[in-house]
Amino acid sequence: MIKSLHSKYGAWLGLISRLIVGGVLLAAGLLKFQQLDKSQMAVRAYELLPIGFANVVGIILPYAEIAMGVLLIIGAALRIIGGLSALLMIAFTIGIAQAWARGLSIDCGCFGGGGQVEPGTANYLPEILRDCGLALLSIYLFLFPQSKFGLDKTTTSGERDNG
Amino acid sequence: MAKNQPGKDNFTRNLVIGVVVGVLLIMVVPTLISKQTNTSAKIPASVSADRGYGIVFNGELSGVPVIDIYEDFQCPVCAKFEGVQGDYIESLISAKKATVVYHTLSFLGPESVNAANAAACAADEGEFLSFHRSLYANQPAENTGVWSNDVLVVLGQATGIDSKKFASCVNNMDYKDWVSNAATAGAQANVNSTPTVFIDGKEIDRQTEYYDVIKFKSAVERG
Repeated sequence: MIKSLHSKYGAWLGLISRLIVGGVLLAAGLLKFQQLDKSQMAVRAYELLPIGFANVVGIILPYAEIAMGVLLIIGAALRIIGGLSALLMIAFTIGIAQAWARGLSIDCGCFGGGGQVEPGTANYLPEILRDCGLALLSIYLFLFPQSKFGLDKTTTSGERDNG
Repeated sequence: MAKNQPGKDNFTRNLVIGVVVGVLLIMVVPTLISKQTNTSAKIPASVSADRGYGIVFNGELSGVPVIDIYEDFQCPVCAKFEGVQGDYIESLISAKKATVVYHTLSFLGPESVNAANAAACAADEGEFLSFHRSLYANQPAENTGVWSNDVLVVLGQATGIDSKKFASCVNNMDYKDWVSNAATAGAQANVNSTPTVFIDGKEIDRQTEYYDVIKFKSAVERG
């Protein structure tokens, strides 16, 4: 039952997942791209990476998000990008969860912004839930990288053919 | 795995992937390089590269507390800090009771870069502190286009800096590379919000000491 439903509507679910994850990544990347100093600050504020490395990540991350977002939206290399995006979302979730557990007061910097904020104003739960949801959609794309209106081949048949 | 339309589909797809990844790689590399410290940048006389490219007052003193202030001229909380502690800090400078280093960060946007550049131009005229005060007293909302270089020149004139040199320094963004170096140094110093104040290298307590005149004073005297 589920299998036949999936073969019938899976490609549509793929399209929806692709547009949601891709749209979020593209928006997040573009917003960070406008303030790279702040993006670096956001990564440092997690107190997870050595400072020099965090500063490099703060610059590369917006570009990576834009590239992944564009590729997801046009539906190219879905398996690879879906896998990368799942790993990225899991990394974000771990970062936010450890900030919460250690009692840091930071802006997640997910959509621009970032850095320390006034104690007590950080709100981590919705951010963790959002990233978990995006991770699930990304994992779906990794497992079933076929979707409607994508650039990858065999986008509408149930068969897999991806690079 | 059969190829229904041999070559065609995958060629387009691979081309698109290549273009997207290629363009972003071409963009990210110069950005990474531009964030390196530019050692040939023109810097104001009162700036010390050894002190994180900050503008230094009383750098020659020893045995006094060293106060490092990281700020962004567009940051409203920095204006609040200046309002609460500005007079006291300036009195420490004029009484030679502390070394004070102003680090003008610019992460809030291009108008922060304009303001930091203009502040460095004012420092060359010996008017950094008064211009610093004027900037905060006339702080507009972030990135609303108010702090163009023309406006900053006028603000300088209103503060009493009317030399031609100041105007051309502001308009030509003479200290743009220095502003970038100061930002890089702030990043290396792990400054994650503004204002951030270090006294003798240690950050003071964010919950209590920033906006309380008496507690800030005792933090300085503690050293």
